[in-house]
Amino acid sequence: MLSLFASDKPAQRLNDLRNLLLFVDLNTREMKIVDGFLHERTYLKDEVIFDEGEEGQAIYFILAGKVLICHPGESDHPIAVLERGNFFGELALLDDAPRSAQARAAVNCTLAVFFRGDFLGLMHSHALIASKIALQLARHLGVRLRGKVHNDQAFSE
Amino acid sequence: MRRQRYRSGPLVWLAILFFTCLLLFLFQKILWLVVPFLLALIGYYLFFPLQQRLVLGGMTRATSAALVSGSAFAVAVGVILLSFPWISAHIVSWQDSASRYIEGGLHFIADTLAWAERNYAFAAKAHLSDQLTQNISELGDKFAGTYLTSAALTAAAWLPSLLLAPFLAFFFLRDGWRFKMFLSRAVPNAFFERTLYLLDQVDHTARLYFQGLIKLTLIDALCLAFGLSLIGVSAPYVLGLMTAVLAWVPYIGSILGCLLVVLVAATDFPTNPSMAYAAIGLFIWVRLLDDFFFMPMTIGRSLNLHPLLTVVMIFVGGAVAGVAGLMLVLPLLGIVMVLGETIGEIVTDPRLRARHEFARNLRHQQVTSDLKR
Repeated sequence: MLSLFASDKPAQRLNDLRNLLLFVDLNTREMKIVDGFLHERTYLKDEVIFDEGEEGQAIYFILAGKVLICHPGESDHPIAVLERGNFFGELALLDDAPRSAQARAAVNCTLAVFFRGDFLGLMHSHALIASKIALQLARHLGVRLRGKVHNDQAFSE
Repeated sequence: MRRQRYRSGPLVWLAILFFTCLLLFLFQKILWLVVPFLLALIGYYLFFPLQQRLVLGGMTRATSAALVSGSAFAVAVGVILLSFPWISAHIVSWQDSASRYIEGGLHFIADTLAWAERNYAFAAKAHLSDQLTQNISELGDKFAGTYLTSAALTAAAWLPSLLLAPFLAFFFLRDGWRFKMFLSRAVPNAFFERTLYLLDQVDHTARLYFQGLIKLTLIDALCLAFGLSLIGVSAPYVLGLMTAVLAWVPYIGSILGCLLVVLVAATDFPTNPSMAYAAIGLFIWVRLLDDFFFMPMTIGRSLNLHPLLTVVMIFVGGAVAGVAGLMLVLPLLGIVMVLGETIGEIVTDPRLRARHEFARNLRHQQVTSDLKR
């Protein structure tokens, strides 16, 4: 009966996850704890992962395949194409603000999903792990912000 | 294009109230399973933080669950074994004390009625003290044969099912997260995020409720014990704990708790009825503190229910499932409310349903692509 609840996670996934920017500071033991909170989902080519304007509840990590980030109806002109090892929807870890764009599977893909509720739970139960993830998230957002400022300056000049 | 926050309409609320009543009715039929399940949930939420600490210390979930459950079980068995000789030595005196306290309480009531009959004409006409004396003597004749035997048989019938509680708590600790993953795997992609939110809210509501209940019981027990020890009533901590646990049953539990305190106070001070009145005053004061201060701080935060709905549902729970209904109605309503609101939100969202339909078509195309001519 309990085999019904068991997840069939390949060991490779743990290694893949440890190479992700958000989890780069975590040791194996901490990564195993986080892995217990990750949901594995498969999406078919063209399937919508989340919609623009939808309340964000989770961050997605690409374990296999490609994902398009685009505005609705503009999948031919995507804002970004993300591949294995990337993640998206990271702002959902911070609050339930609406998604700024649509995410869509470019090919059949497998994603790991980390729910905000579990992240907030980690802050209480495993504050060290949560703070390591939060620090990496802050660094990642800082890099994006600097890039945006740099682009805006280049555009105005 | 921020989506407007969903608010349940009257139909969803009717469904929530209907399913709460239906579940109460069904639970009443399988109370032998529901009670150990609830006790196991209380144990799970009590020991979950400790298990989390062990996991962080490097243990696996299975080992930490076994260690926490095993330690709790060993402590419980140890306490029972160690206290057994003491219980055996005192059981006869407890029996005598119980009879003494009941007698003392009845004397207190009889004295109060006699005082009322001396001072008020309408009370004298009613002859309440005579009726009470007659009823007491009839009850005394029947009590041992009728009530004591059935109480002993009920306790014996409940014992095996209560032993289920630690067993269930262990598996909740060990496999609870797997069960959550298992449930979420059955959810289609389109509804996945919303369902995760639902599961989280159910877990959050239940955790806050049960942890709040434990905190409330401890606060109530300590306040009552402190007050009773100030008055000078015997065994204040045992009395405080018993009345705090009895308060888990709304209304009836409080009345029984008050009766218990009065019985003890009236027996400890048979010639001084003012001590019994002081105990009643203390009990009412603690209940008021409980209703207006402690409960909003602990349980009230978890359920976020309208006070009118809370009171009405407690009465409905009592009518549908008796004492069990009184105890179960609020946590059940809290969980059904979260479920109902989220299912209502998903079902009434055309975009989510369209995405689900689209994904189903994609899957159909994929599995039938080589079947077309």
